[in-house]
Amino acid sequence: MLRKLLVAATAIGLASGAQAQDQNDLLSKSWDDIVAQAKDEGSVNWFVWYFQPRYRELAEAFTAEYGIEVMIPEGTHEGNIDKVLAETGRESGDVDLLAMGADRIELFKQENLVGPLNDVLPNAATMTTEVGGFDGQGYGWAYWGNQTGIAYDPEAIDEADLPQSVEDFAAYWDANPGRFGFNYENGGSGPSFFTHVARNLTDADFTSGKVTEEKMDALQPAWDFFLDHTDGYIITASNTDSLIRLSNREFALVPAWEDHLFKLQGEKEVSDRIKFYIPEFGMTGGGNINVIPANAPHPAAALVFLNWVSSPETQTRFNEVFGAAPMNSAADDSHALIPNDMRARAVSSPANPFNTELRQAFIEHVALER
Amino acid sequence: MTLRRTLTIAALLTPGLGLILVMVGSVFYIAVAQSFGYYNLSGDSAFSLDHWRDVLGSKQFGRSLGYSAYIAIISALGSIAIAYPLAIWMRKPFRGSLVVGSLLKAPLFVPGLVAAFLFLNVVAYHGVLNQFLMWTGLTDAPIRFQNDRNGFGVIFLQLWKNMPLALLLLTGAVQGISDEVVDAARDLGAGPLARFRKVIAPLTVQAMQAALIIIFIGAAGDFAFQVTAGPTNVQSMAQYMVFLKTSFGRWNQAAVVGVSLMGLALVGALGLAGLARLTLRGLKW
Repeated sequence: MLRKLLVAATAIGLASGAQAQDQNDLLSKSWDDIVAQAKDEGSVNWFVWYFQPRYRELAEAFTAEYGIEVMIPEGTHEGNIDKVLAETGRESGDVDLLAMGADRIELFKQENLVGPLNDVLPNAATMTTEVGGFDGQGYGWAYWGNQTGIAYDPEAIDEADLPQSVEDFAAYWDANPGRFGFNYENGGSGPSFFTHVARNLTDADFTSGKVTEEKMDALQPAWDFFLDHTDGYIITASNTDSLIRLSNREFALVPAWEDHLFKLQGEKEVSDRIKFYIPEFGMTGGGNINVIPANAPHPAAALVFLNWVSSPETQTRFNEVFGAAPMNSAADDSHALIPNDMRARAVSSPANPFNTELRQAFIEHVALER
Repeated sequence: MTLRRTLTIAALLTPGLGLILVMVGSVFYIAVAQSFGYYNLSGDSAFSLDHWRDVLGSKQFGRSLGYSAYIAIISALGSIAIAYPLAIWMRKPFRGSLVVGSLLKAPLFVPGLVAAFLFLNVVAYHGVLNQFLMWTGLTDAPIRFQNDRNGFGVIFLQLWKNMPLALLLLTGAVQGISDEVVDAARDLGAGPLARFRKVIAPLTVQAMQAALIIIFIGAAGDFAFQVTAGPTNVQSMAQYMVFLKTSFGRWNQAAVVGVSLMGLALVGALGLAGLARLTLRGLKW
C-alpha cells in the first residue's frame, strides 16, 4: 500500500513538474508562435456559468478571426470551480479557461494556474487584473464588470433630488414612506445597500474579513438606523422583484445591479424610463475574471481566447450587448447606464467571513425585528 | 409462522419495501449525518453538535419553525372546515353536482407556482384587486397586499390548493354513511349541527385524519408559495433551509433545518390527527 502511495505521489510530482516546464515553454514563446500553437490545438473551452447562449453567439467572432472552435458548456459557478479544483492533481484536465467571481481567486494556488501573463498578453497594458478589491496578480484577468447602485424612476423623483448620503436616504424615507424597496435574499443588490449604509454609520473595520464579537456589536448603530426608519422602506423578495415593482411605479428607488437592469430593460421586462446611479456614499462594484488552469488541455488557445475576451473590441461589444462595465481601459463604455466618472464611487464588498456574518446580522437585527 | 414462510414474505416485500428503505432511508440518513457535521462539503467531516447549537440558537430558526407550524395548522384545519360542508352538500347527487364537484377540484390540476404568480397579479400594487377597489371608490390609493406580514396570502393559496384534496377524501367518506343512520339521528331530534358533530364527523374521522396529515405535511414544507407570496420578515422552514445553503454555503446548518422540518411534519401531523380522533371519538381507538 505504501509503495502504491509513493508511486502515486511521485507521479503527481512528475506531472506537476512537467506542467511547470510546459508552461514555461509556452509563456516564453512569442505571441505569434502562441497563436500558431493555438491554431494547431484547434479548439478551446470556456467554463462560464451564465449567459452561455449569448456568449456562444459572440464567440463566433473569435472563431472567424482565429479559426479556433469555442465550446461553452453548461454549468454552475460553484460546479465549474469545484471541477477545476478537483482536477488539480491530473496531468491534463478538462478546463481551458475558467470564469469566476473575482473574490474566488483566493481558492487557487498560483502554481496551479498559468501566469503571470502581464508580459505575454498583447492587450495586457489596457486589461486589468484587479477588480472589486481582489487582485488576480497576473493570473486572473477581468472580463466582466458589474456595479450595484440605485435604480430610480425619473417620473417619481428628479435627478437633482436623488439621495446621495445615508442621511439623504433617511430624509427621503421620512418624506416618502414606502417608496423605497430592497431585498436581503435572492440577489446582492439589497445586501450591497445595507452593507454600505452600515459602513458609513459605524466604526467597524470593513477592510478586514475578521469577525469578532466587538466588531459585530459595533454594527448596532446601523441596525438602529434601519429600525428607526422601518416605515420608510419595504423589504422585497429579490433583485428582480425590486426592479419589477419599480417599473410598475410601486417604488421610486430600489438598489440594483447595473447589468441586471440593462438585461431586463433589453428584454422589455423593465421600462426604459428607469435610470441608474451610484450614490456618493458608495456601493459595491465588482467583476468576474478568467484564469487558465495549469493542466488546461489547450493552453495556447486559452491564452489567445483570454486575450480576445478582454480586448477593447470584445469589451465594447459586451458593453453594447450586456451593459457590462468594460474591463479594458481602451474599450468604449458609451452604452453603460452611468458615466465613467461615477464609477469612482464604486467600493469593494467586505471580505469574508465578515461579509457573510454582516448579512446574517442584518436578518437577525432588522428583518426579523420589523 | 415458520422461518421459511417469514423469509418468503420478506423476499416478496423486498422490491417495494427495499426501494423505500434505500431511497428514502439513505436521504434521511445523509440529512441527519450532515446535521451532525458529516458529509461536510467545505470543511472537515467529523461529529459535531456546533451546527445544531448555531441553528437552534438563532432567532431566525425559532421564527421559521413557529411560522411554518402556524401556516400548516391553519391550512390543514381551514381546508377541512371548508371541505366538510361542501362534502355534505354533495353527499347525494343532484343535477349539476358532477360539474360543481369537478370545478371545486380543478385547483388540484394547477401547479402551485403558477397559482402563486396568478395570485400576485391579482394582489399586486397595481393589480386587479387594487384597480377594482380604486374604481369602486373604496380606496383612494393602492394598498400593499403583496407579501403581507401575517402570511394571509400564503394561507389563501394553501386553502385554495388543499381544500379540493380534503374534499376528495371527505366526499367519499360522507357518501359512505347510509341514509338510515342520518335519518335515525334526525328522528331522534338531532339538528344539522348535532348530526354533524355526533354522527357524520365521528364516522368520517379516518378520512379527516388522512386529510389533516397530508395537508399539514405539505403546508409545513411549503417553499413555492412562501417565496412568491409570503412575508419578507420571516422565512418558512423550507425557505430558510435553501437560504442557508445558497446564500451562505452552510450545508450542515441547512441539514439541521431539514431534519427539524421532518420532525415538525411528523409531530404536527400526528398531533393534529390524534387530536381530531380524541375530540370526536374520545379515548375509544
